[in-house]
Amino acid sequence: METIVEAQNLRKTYRRADGSSIEAVKGVNLAIRRGEIFSLLGPNGAGKTTTISMISGLVTPTEGDAVIRGHSITKQPMAAKRLMGFVPQEIALYPDLSARHNLLFFGRMYGLGGRSLSRRVDELLAFMELHERRNDRVDTFSGGMKRRVNIAVGLLHKPQLIYMDEPTVGIDPQSRRRILDTVKQLRDEDGMTVLYTTHLMEEAQELSDRVGIMDHGEIIAMGTQSELTQQVGEEDRLEFTVVGAVAEGTPARIQDEVSLVTRVLYDAPEPAGDGSGEPVTGRLTVFAEQGRTALPLIIQALHSAGLEVQSVAVREPDLEAVFLALTGRELRD
Amino acid sequence: MRKILAIAGKELYIFFRDRNLILLSFATPLVLSTIIGLAFGGVGGSDSPEFAEIAVAVVNLDEGVDVQESIGLPDQLTDAGSLPFDPAEVALPFGDSQVTLASLLESGSALNFGDQVAGILLSQPIGNVDTAGGAGLDFGEVECRLLGDGEGEESATFAAGGTLDDLLDASQVADPDLARAGVDSGEYAAAVIIPPDFSRGMLPRLLLDDEGRVRAELGDPAGTVEVYGNNGRPISARVVHAIAAGIVNQFVRVSVALSAAVETSANFVLDNIDLGAVDFSNLDLSGVDLPAALASLQGLDASALEPLFCLITPGASNITVSRQPLDALQEAPTFARLIVPIGASQAVFFALFTGVFGIHSIYEERRNWTLQRMIVSPTPRFYLLVGKVAGNLVTVLLQILILMAALTVVATIVIGETAMIWGTNGGAILAVAAALALCVSGVGVFLVGLARTPEQVVLFGPMINIGLAVLGGAFGFSLPEQAAQFSLIYWGVDAFTKLASGQTDIALNLLVLAAQGLILYFVGMWLFKRRLDL
Repeated sequence: METIVEAQNLRKTYRRADGSSIEAVKGVNLAIRRGEIFSLLGPNGAGKTTTISMISGLVTPTEGDAVIRGHSITKQPMAAKRLMGFVPQEIALYPDLSARHNLLFFGRMYGLGGRSLSRRVDELLAFMELHERRNDRVDTFSGGMKRRVNIAVGLLHKPQLIYMDEPTVGIDPQSRRRILDTVKQLRDEDGMTVLYTTHLMEEAQELSDRVGIMDHGEIIAMGTQSELTQQVGEEDRLEFTVVGAVAEGTPARIQDEVSLVTRVLYDAPEPAGDGSGEPVTGRLTVFAEQGRTALPLIIQALHSAGLEVQSVAVREPDLEAVFLALTGRELRD
Repeated sequence: MRKILAIAGKELYIFFRDRNLILLSFATPLVLSTIIGLAFGGVGGSDSPEFAEIAVAVVNLDEGVDVQESIGLPDQLTDAGSLPFDPAEVALPFGDSQVTLASLLESGSALNFGDQVAGILLSQPIGNVDTAGGAGLDFGEVECRLLGDGEGEESATFAAGGTLDDLLDASQVADPDLARAGVDSGEYAAAVIIPPDFSRGMLPRLLLDDEGRVRAELGDPAGTVEVYGNNGRPISARVVHAIAAGIVNQFVRVSVALSAAVETSANFVLDNIDLGAVDFSNLDLSGVDLPAALASLQGLDASALEPLFCLITPGASNITVSRQPLDALQEAPTFARLIVPIGASQAVFFALFTGVFGIHSIYEERRNWTLQRMIVSPTPRFYLLVGKVAGNLVTVLLQILILMAALTVVATIVIGETAMIWGTNGGAILAVAAALALCVSGVGVFLVGLARTPEQVVLFGPMINIGLAVLGGAFGFSLPEQAAQFSLIYWGVDAFTKLASGQTDIALNLLVLAAQGLILYFVGMWLFKRRLDL
């Protein structure tokens, strides 16, 4: 399959006011194929936005380059930019202008004009189900409506490739659902290539053909979901919330007592002493083959260790597990 | 280019859609200017404006006239030796003054009324002794008025007791074309041009009719003096015209009086001689009792000749303007004159904020990510920069022009009649407004470019704007001109004030504003580029 975006050793170093420097992106390499949804998944601060900013020509890389269908973003930025649409995480719209005026203005920035622009704007407003509110000021819109206008701007010039930087941040589930459907529609019906960043594992799982997992400015894993989950094996993940202090040797003891358990991680509780009288709780994450079979045995072992199980969740292998396996941290951390 | 226009258009659109911004940018300076104008200028057009000295060019081309030749007395009459009496002993009936016939009939005696008019306008002592001291007259007590008794009586309230010297700043100019050019350029409010035949046209010619009666024929001096006024300074021009007309009217009166007096005197003399004894082909007055005839002239009413004194006395420059008709002054009430500098300075002061904060909005665009969105589009960053500042420039220009138009409407309402308070030179007004907009916007670009953070712009922008306003006199008090010249407001207001008074010498103002604006723009743009680096 044709590669539409190829990033080579992208690095970005920022200088702090005190003269020191921080490396936000540390040599990212990736190749995005035509017609796929590629997600960059990672916690906040992982370097996703900086990476997408370099690939879109917004930020100049300290080192490396990105090539969009043969056009270098650093050497032929105008040609490269014509091929791409951009949907930033922020609502990049003029709040004083109507939805229609915003679209018309940004359309002109892409060299569109006249009736073709007007037609395209109406088309997109209808596509985003905003036609009724087209002449209303954007600052009177709900968060979800603003997000949809934000996406419509990125689609004005019918780009071959669109970058979407966390486009569902801060909106209600219904609007989020609509946006996710729109993204899939763009790929399935228009054949558009989507580079999608998110810190929500569910979104990446639902949308992506391939995923790149980022942490601390690096892509630590990349592939299809099945390829990634295979990296952490076929283990289920059992998440326990327990009441009481977990003794130092308890995780090892559970692993010894229950043969299906392969690994146990313990999140120490917050120190007590807040005077609230609430019992101290902690979290244990247990990786086990055939998790549902192992569950009663693990609960018994916890009781034996003097711990009361408050809640338990059994999760099959997913990207969260991959991230956890690779970094020792959860995505939300 | 279309992208630049789109960005500039968006800037304009956003500015003019913001009601609060409109209120601040237009209503506030408009209301402030109107209040100050009303407080110091009053309502309506019935107030009496104070005039500074009106610059007038006086061109005297009058070639003068020989009295004897002009009046056409027979040659024998001027030959004192042939007279049967001593002309030095014959007194003429000019009040208590001792004017002798000899002094008037002296051969070669020339009159130059143009000198008199010019001398009056220039407020200079009249130096032509041939028409004054040489006659031995003493007219120091005579009051010469510009207008006759009763003229403009009902409206005469202006500047009682003032003199021409207080009112006019008259300069003598030799070349009439030079004087007209000075008026065109605004150097003079008007030029008074006295034609070469002014004196000749003023003097009557004596003719003998078929019955041997003396008849005096008047010349036609009326309208021969040209007052060339500056259309942009109609009030000053009308004042000068009224003064010149008043003076010329005095000469006309004198001409009429002189004609009547000479005609009466001559016929009186003729009535007392035996015409049958006179051989008109060879006039011999030896048998005529001229002393007796001339003595009878003492019975004539001397007041009829009194205006003549004003022509030939050095004291004539003490003419008062106590009867200047008010209707000539009503078109420039104090409000109209005040609103120009006040309104212009307020307009520029508020435009300075638009200049700074319009450019400062680049930070807001950056925060809202609309700037990033434009950068990600296939639009060169230079276009973004040019579009942004061009939009700001046009916004500032429109703000100034709209405020000027609004102030014109306010002035018209307050005065009660159409008031073109900024003058009639539309092209020059537009040029000044454009140069000011360039400078104002340039200040904004420079400030935003220079500041390291948006907070610095918010802090220092108003401080610098207020500093420029204080220097430029926008707050009602003036600093020394040397200090004021550091402010673009000074140059703008000065240019608008000049244009409002009909002057056109604003080249220096335009040069200073444009140069200042361009320098600020280029330096500011160079600094401002950094704001687009993310």
